[in-house]
Amino acid sequence: MPRRRDIKKIVILGSGPIVIGQACEFDYSGSQACKALREEGYTTVLVNSNPATIMTDPGMAHATYIEPLNVESVSRIIEKERPDAILPTLGGQTGLNLAFFLMKHGILKKFGVESLGASVAAIACAEDRLLFKRAMQQIGVNVPQSGIACTVQEGLKIGLSIGFPLILRPAYCLGGSGGAVVYNKEELEKALAKGIEISPVGQILVEESVMGWKEIEFEVMRDCADNVVVITSMENVDPLGVHTGDSMVVAPAQTLTKPEYDEFVFLCKKIIRRIGISGGGANVQFAQNPANGKIYVIEVNPRLSRSSALASKATGFPIARIATKLAVGLTLPEVINQVTGRTTAFFEPTVDYCVFKICRFTFEKFPAAERVLNTSMKAVGEAMAIGRNFREALQKGLRSIETGRFGLGADGKDVISDEALRQPDNMLIAAIKAKLSVPNDERIFYVRYALKAGMPVEEIHALSKIDRWFLDQIRQIVDMENSIREFRNAGIDDPVKLPADLLLRAKQDGFSDRQIAYLLHSKEERVREARKKQNEKAVYKLVDTCAGEHNAKKPYFYSTYESQDESRGTANRKVVILGGGPNRIGQGIEFDYCCCHAAYALKEEGIESVMVNCNPETVSTDYDTSDRLYFEPLTIEDILNIIEIEKPIGVIVQFGGQTPINLAVSLRKAGIPILGTSADSIDIAEDRKRFKDMLNKLGLSQPENDTAFTFDEAKEAARKIGYPVLVRPSYVLGGRAMEIVYDENVLERFIAEAAKVSGEHPILIDKFIDDAIEVDVDVIGDGSTFVVGGILEHIEEAGIHSGDSAMALPAFTISNAMLNKIREASCKMAKELDIVGLMNVQYAIKDEKLYVLEVNPRASRTVPFISKAIGVPLAKLATKVMLGRKLKDLGFTQEVVPPYVAIKESVFPFNRFSGVDVILGPEMKSTGEVMGIDKDFSKAFIKSQIAAGQNLPRKGNVFISVRDRDKRAVLMIVRKLSDMGFNIFATSGTAAALERTGIDVTVLPKLAEGRPNVLDLMKDGKIQLVINTPSGRIPRQDEVKIRSHVIMYNIPYTTTISGAQATVNGIETLIKKSLDVKPLQEYHKKLSKGSGARRAR
Amino acid sequence: MKAMLLLEDGKTFAGESVGETGLRIGKVVLDTSIVGYQESLTNPANAGKLIVRTYPVVGSYGAAGKFDESPRIWAAGCIVKELSCTPSNWQSECSFPEYIQKHGGCVLHGIDTRTLAVHLRQRGELLGVIAAGSVSVKDMTAALDAFRKQTPGSALPDIASAPVNSVPAGRGQYKLGVIDIGLTKSLMEELRKMNSGLRVFAYNSSAADIAAQKLDGCIVSDGPEEDPGLEIVADTVKQLIGSIPVLGIGAGCLVVARALGAKTTRMKIGHRGVNYPVHCPGFLKGDMTIQNHGVCIDAVSLRRQKRVKISGYNLHDRTVEEFESKSLRAWGVQYIPVSYGPVPHPVFQRFLKSIARRR
Repeated sequence: MPRRRDIKKIVILGSGPIVIGQACEFDYSGSQACKALREEGYTTVLVNSNPATIMTDPGMAHATYIEPLNVESVSRIIEKERPDAILPTLGGQTGLNLAFFLMKHGILKKFGVESLGASVAAIACAEDRLLFKRAMQQIGVNVPQSGIACTVQEGLKIGLSIGFPLILRPAYCLGGSGGAVVYNKEELEKALAKGIEISPVGQILVEESVMGWKEIEFEVMRDCADNVVVITSMENVDPLGVHTGDSMVVAPAQTLTKPEYDEFVFLCKKIIRRIGISGGGANVQFAQNPANGKIYVIEVNPRLSRSSALASKATGFPIARIATKLAVGLTLPEVINQVTGRTTAFFEPTVDYCVFKICRFTFEKFPAAERVLNTSMKAVGEAMAIGRNFREALQKGLRSIETGRFGLGADGKDVISDEALRQPDNMLIAAIKAKLSVPNDERIFYVRYALKAGMPVEEIHALSKIDRWFLDQIRQIVDMENSIREFRNAGIDDPVKLPADLLLRAKQDGFSDRQIAYLLHSKEERVREARKKQNEKAVYKLVDTCAGEHNAKKPYFYSTYESQDESRGTANRKVVILGGGPNRIGQGIEFDYCCCHAAYALKEEGIESVMVNCNPETVSTDYDTSDRLYFEPLTIEDILNIIEIEKPIGVIVQFGGQTPINLAVSLRKAGIPILGTSADSIDIAEDRKRFKDMLNKLGLSQPENDTAFTFDEAKEAARKIGYPVLVRPSYVLGGRAMEIVYDENVLERFIAEAAKVSGEHPILIDKFIDDAIEVDVDVIGDGSTFVVGGILEHIEEAGIHSGDSAMALPAFTISNAMLNKIREASCKMAKELDIVGLMNVQYAIKDEKLYVLEVNPRASRTVPFISKAIGVPLAKLATKVMLGRKLKDLGFTQEVVPPYVAIKESVFPFNRFSGVDVILGPEMKSTGEVMGIDKDFSKAFIKSQIAAGQNLPRKGNVFISVRDRDKRAVLMIVRKLSDMGFNIFATSGTAAALERTGIDVTVLPKLAEGRPNVLDLMKDGKIQLVINTPSGRIPRQDEVKIRSHVIMYNIPYTTTISGAQATVNGIETLIKKSLDVKPLQEYHKKLSKGSGARRAR
Repeated sequence: MKAMLLLEDGKTFAGESVGETGLRIGKVVLDTSIVGYQESLTNPANAGKLIVRTYPVVGSYGAAGKFDESPRIWAAGCIVKELSCTPSNWQSECSFPEYIQKHGGCVLHGIDTRTLAVHLRQRGELLGVIAAGSVSVKDMTAALDAFRKQTPGSALPDIASAPVNSVPAGRGQYKLGVIDIGLTKSLMEELRKMNSGLRVFAYNSSAADIAAQKLDGCIVSDGPEEDPGLEIVADTVKQLIGSIPVLGIGAGCLVVARALGAKTTRMKIGHRGVNYPVHCPGFLKGDMTIQNHGVCIDAVSLRRQKRVKISGYNLHDRTVEEFESKSLRAWGVQYIPVSYGPVPHPVFQRFLKSIARRR
């Protein structure tokens, strides 16, 4: 059936900022959707508040709205654009929920807009717990015993009748947030209250627990002619009880028999038909009792999901692209799969490798959070590894997540030594058992410890419920480890004696050279040499969807140790782009955006691009982003292997964040040309001493600072500089282990932590400048011309990590004289460092004096934001200058200062980590960002707040509690709120200060002193906004409680005075006038026609 | 035990073997399905074949009697990348290697099956020999040559002597006959879903014997597609066509096509797996089918048969996968129409409908 002709214009909903449970997989799917729809000749309108995405690039859709993803703003867009249809199935749960609420508000009907991909009825059937259960029972598919509750009483009744343990799942919540496993009545009551609160529809499912069962997932697609294909099966290594987004997953399923597999496929087809998806894909999650094969269906997602992104990358079947084509009426047999070029989408992929997905967690960022995994997702990113067996894929996966490990232990970084494991005492055994029985992010390592301590597989299975097959595979890895160790050297420089066949088997089991070196008491380089001597080289095999049955046209590659290499190197000029690996706090989608632009730029310059990355969620790992894609871990061993095969003219390390920057030195040592800014310049920027010399030479100042390797050195330095000081390790991203320190005791603790993170690199100690304005500047240079990309003024004062701050472009309080000073300083430094490509500088301004805080000679996370704001693709230009082009020839020689305002706001994962305080500091905590864009500051700011999920009130009650030094500053803010008709509530101290100026204040008792206190009011929905600045480094218990309630009840809040100021101004705007919507393309038209910005595009 | 595969073009692959140690000779074919290793070895249609499993880990869920498609292993051997010795599944009775040893099979493992698969894709299906221990390449080549020269024997008498289903299913709405040239347990189960009386005939039953049973329809099962014994069956079927409805499945489809006067031809590389889309021109809905064939109907010769219509092609390589002749009441499906669940596969539903229409 040809595509539908009754539809002309389609709105695509994005998924908004990166949050836990919704990451860049929706940039991958949205970008594919935009491309697929344009290919079919539709006019596309894209809505997404996340500027760091490829999908919001102005060329992807005909009209790109960087606007909040809520009913109000999307309704306006619909009203303005008058589309025929909306495509909500590629924007995650956000997109799906939004479509559902647009329907509920009658917007779709009013403007005659059809929901494509999944009808509103299908969405309801999959998402509404009761409808889903009924539908499944109707077609004879088993579901766990359950009931739906809207009140705690109902929930208790249902729960007690089913019996413990129980699983609770709030309706319409992404990533399983608010989900819980409860074992008794008390826990049930607590979890019910919380779940009902956070569910947008106030509904919660109380369900029979199937903890410990196998979790099996399938990806299924169906077209309007009722053709159905099953893309792949996936089996979770962690049994049920751990959210699938947190679980290690293997594809295809490893422990299903043929009849079982057939039964699952049969059920999937039945389910997708019953749900009524008739032009799209779905993800079906099952639980299977490992003792008797009984199957329950747990959940169906009638949309593209994280799992479908994984399934797509794991099989070479572009699910998002195909789902989009099906949504507009094409059938599976009509859509060609471009990976094979020979088969259509009416084909079930089959693989001849094993895929392993492993998650990246950031518990280290939230030390107060309990380090356990459960049904509420906590992972911020993931990596996918491919091998010819499970062991190889597992070990590659473990080194892909970049937690400093090089495989399953045996890399010198194990927390329990081999000696201790040889004769384990009872305490050690108990510790291991605890780590096995309660799921956590380190459990896989504890399986190894358990095996090494002599614990039988059966016992490990009993404790962890991990399938014996997986445990047996790990046992084989441990056996191999022991076999290698037998050839241990006495001296570290002795030749490697490992026999060739054992070396080959070790590599086939996924051991890295680094692990082998550790086991042999040798060096990585020596193992590599030994390998080369014995001609044991990595070969590359294909991801081709068909297990080699067809000669695929556009496959991608993974390494393994087999007899024949199938890589498709060419003699053409080519460049290797190193990607950013798994998402994490501090290194996210922004860097993937830059890597994609590098690939696009290379294409424009007629040079082949070779992408290396292991993140299955991204656009960079899409089959059509680069000329060749290697799905590999980003370690020096794996990269050198690829470089040996591809022989590129150079490697780009500037774009993947800190991951490739950290490899720059090793690459240079190996004689690999690095494109752009030299490794030496990178070293100047990272090396405090050399950097200080450079600043002195250029006559620039920085906060007084020093470096230290030991606590004593640090103590001495801090005393000399004077407290407060900022301590941090060098060579890290996202302010890892960074802290403002006010005294010596605290200093000691942080030095210990920083040393762990920093390794052999020194610890940096800076004078902390209180109450300064912080500025981020991105500069592009070609070695002779240097142009400022944008000067971003932080809204929060200095001391809060730049990744967490809200920022505005253009700057809004800085004088022109100071701006010129900033421009001059930035270009001077760029020139001195001979920047070819991008550079980011952070400054602090205090009393009209400019301090350089740091310089990063690479693309920063603000690059996509600035590019969107000024309409210039900076990363693309940077790639071109790295290839030798000049900015003058590229037409970008002048800074673009837009005649409108763009504001970047950060989004935080606090709701995932209960017990964690929400205050901001020098350690980055945000997972994602949004952009608010409008003609003035307050409108842009309010949009950024709404987009970030702050549901700002137009009227109601505000609770104020600020530290003493903020009491003056808060007066004006409160006065304004009061004038706008808000009722003011405060604790006694703050209230006293406010009352003196004649503001009406209701005084609330301190938490311990009486009720109802502020917590009670929050619970009852009587507080609409909270302004609370932390009293000190160690906050008072009251404050922490207040702030954790803010998160629990999703009440808008601000923890800084500058933030409060901007928020209140924004509310004023919100009350006075309604917010307009305007596509990016129209904003860009306002940029002066003759400016470099236009020509550069 | 160290072992080796030699292909007739001289290429060798070294690995290790489990099971029988004698020379194993057969056509080397690719199976791209991920599960079902035990089923494929015990499928009579695979008699004499060396099956390369493209999925690299084989044996992870072990083996159990209930997964047998027939009472014995028919394939000459199985070639895999990695043999999983510690199975995990509640139904597993023993590990796959143990099963192989117990039932006289042979598995060659430790092979770069990806390279082997790509090689076969480029060269076409080849004869091969597996030898365990220290057999020289020269001896293996000689054995291959000798095998090629000898007239191929028929496996049908063996198949007939070990029927998968000794007890014919009793009564039902219709009386159906099945000519067993390699009936599998799963096909038998599928046939039972038709709620009809089933009468199983050996490959050498005469048309008269079959006709004497006053059947409502007759099904020719799947079996070894290149078996010389199929000629006899085609003759029998030729006599039946026109008098009763006939449906051929897999190799049975080739038999019916030949009985109708069409030719069959060997494909460069077969269709063996669970992901073959079959599509009928003019229809939007197709079928995802299970296939196991390296021989197909020659489309030109089939089109020449006036009363026969090709009703299904492979969507990707246009192989004939399905034909029908309403006037002769003869049907053929090149794929294996088995399905999970209580309802018979649409192919059988259609067959039943056409019987009903005539009665």
